[in-house]
Amino acid sequence: MAKLKMDKTNIIDFSGVTFGFPEQATLFTNLSLSIQKGAFYLIKGPSGAGKTTFLRLINRLEEPVSGIIRFKGKPLDAYPPPQLRHSLLLIQQTPTVVDGSVEENLLLPFSFKNNSHLKRPRQEKIERLLAEIHLQDVRMNDHAMTLSVGQIQRLCLVRGLLLSPEILLLDEPTSALDRESAFAVTTLLERLNVESGLTVLAVTHKKQDRGNVTYRGLEVHHGHVEECP
Amino acid sequence: MTGNVIQIGPYQLILALVFILVAGGASLYHGLRLEKDLLVGTIRTFAQLFLLGYVLKFVFQLDSVWPVLAVFLFMIVFAVRIIRSRIKEKQVAFFWPMLISMTISYAVAAIMITGVVIGAEPWWKPQYFIPLSGMLIGNSMNAVAISLDRLLSDLKKRRQEVEMMLSLGADYGEAAKDMVRNAMRAGMIPAINSMMAVGVVFIPGMMTGQILAGADPLQAIRYQIVVMVMLVGSTALLSFLGVHIVCRLCFSPAQQLLLRPKKK
Repeated sequence: MAKLKMDKTNIIDFSGVTFGFPEQATLFTNLSLSIQKGAFYLIKGPSGAGKTTFLRLINRLEEPVSGIIRFKGKPLDAYPPPQLRHSLLLIQQTPTVVDGSVEENLLLPFSFKNNSHLKRPRQEKIERLLAEIHLQDVRMNDHAMTLSVGQIQRLCLVRGLLLSPEILLLDEPTSALDRESAFAVTTLLERLNVESGLTVLAVTHKKQDRGNVTYRGLEVHHGHVEECP
Repeated sequence: MTGNVIQIGPYQLILALVFILVAGGASLYHGLRLEKDLLVGTIRTFAQLFLLGYVLKFVFQLDSVWPVLAVFLFMIVFAVRIIRSRIKEKQVAFFWPMLISMTISYAVAAIMITGVVIGAEPWWKPQYFIPLSGMLIGNSMNAVAISLDRLLSDLKKRRQEVEMMLSLGADYGEAAKDMVRNAMRAGMIPAINSMMAVGVVFIPGMMTGQILAGADPLQAIRYQIVVMVMLVGSTALLSFLGVHIVCRLCFSPAQQLLLRPKKK
């Protein structure tokens, strides 16, 4: 009974997951853990420990050698990959835009045929999100590649949020940002976590000690991922 | 036609080697260290072309479809092997899919040209089918090699961009669309450029050969036009097929990019 209750609050479950890159040592061995729905996880660990790979396993850019990863109780392979990925949305550490305007980049996901059922966001929603992370001065017809790395990093976050994912997987989301912009991004993520119940997993080296959200910690080291304070 | 041709005897062949001696001298003078390659290249040119001459003579005499098709298949197998060896990226195994698709498309193109356009009777008449297939395969092989090399290196170089799109819900075709387009363009440009320059900047080898063999230049031109058009068409078809097949092979069924950066 207790197990059933616990399963309902889990959105991702790893069961005996082993993973390694071809011709390299195994990175994760027999990994079993659960990610709680609506929680805000901060992922820590030394460089090369597998933090990014852990996120890539969740959105299925990598495939476990053995074991099962479940999303809402079903194995990841029960979902068509494109549908799975816009629900378990990964934003890479290196912010990447395509050759085009800010608007083209923001609406890029809505041009994919697997996302054709999704409603295009309204202009006000885009503007509100941009303003929230101090991008109000960026114009829609600006060329995205002329923006600074910090602006591109925030643009990529907004582009992802417009898809209304269920889980946001962030790889160093504030690595290229100054303190003020980083603060704005954190505030936005906290708001979405509290108000909309968005589950967030963020790889970060920065300490979060602000009071709005109860953060949970995950530590990646020596082939394991464990909850930490 | 052969009556007008000046025969090349052993003496003339040896005399032509003077040009190789000049090239060898230049290599020695500048310390290029190409003398050995020049020697091997010259020996291979003599050996391979004489061998080809005897094989063609034999096949022409047999006058049967099977040896013609065997030569045709032999050329395609070697073309795919050459393409494979020219591409630096070895993570994707494309030999068999490429062999099958190249065999089908070359067969369609070659039969169209010999049987329908030229109207040879039968369609496999060796003196038409073998040289025309050879030109087709030789030229589009370069285009396919350029296209595939470009595709694979772009997918690897732009991995971040591809995975960004996959993460946003794109399928592999949408994520690699730009790289596919660039690869096809890279493969087709040389064939289109040669159409622009033909007859102005250079006289193509086939036409030169026909004229030297005593053919009417106006007749040689017609053959050359057929060949040029055939080459552009087959290059486009092969680049399209090759790039799409190999692009599919670069992704797993779960739409994961399989090309990985090399671990140092």
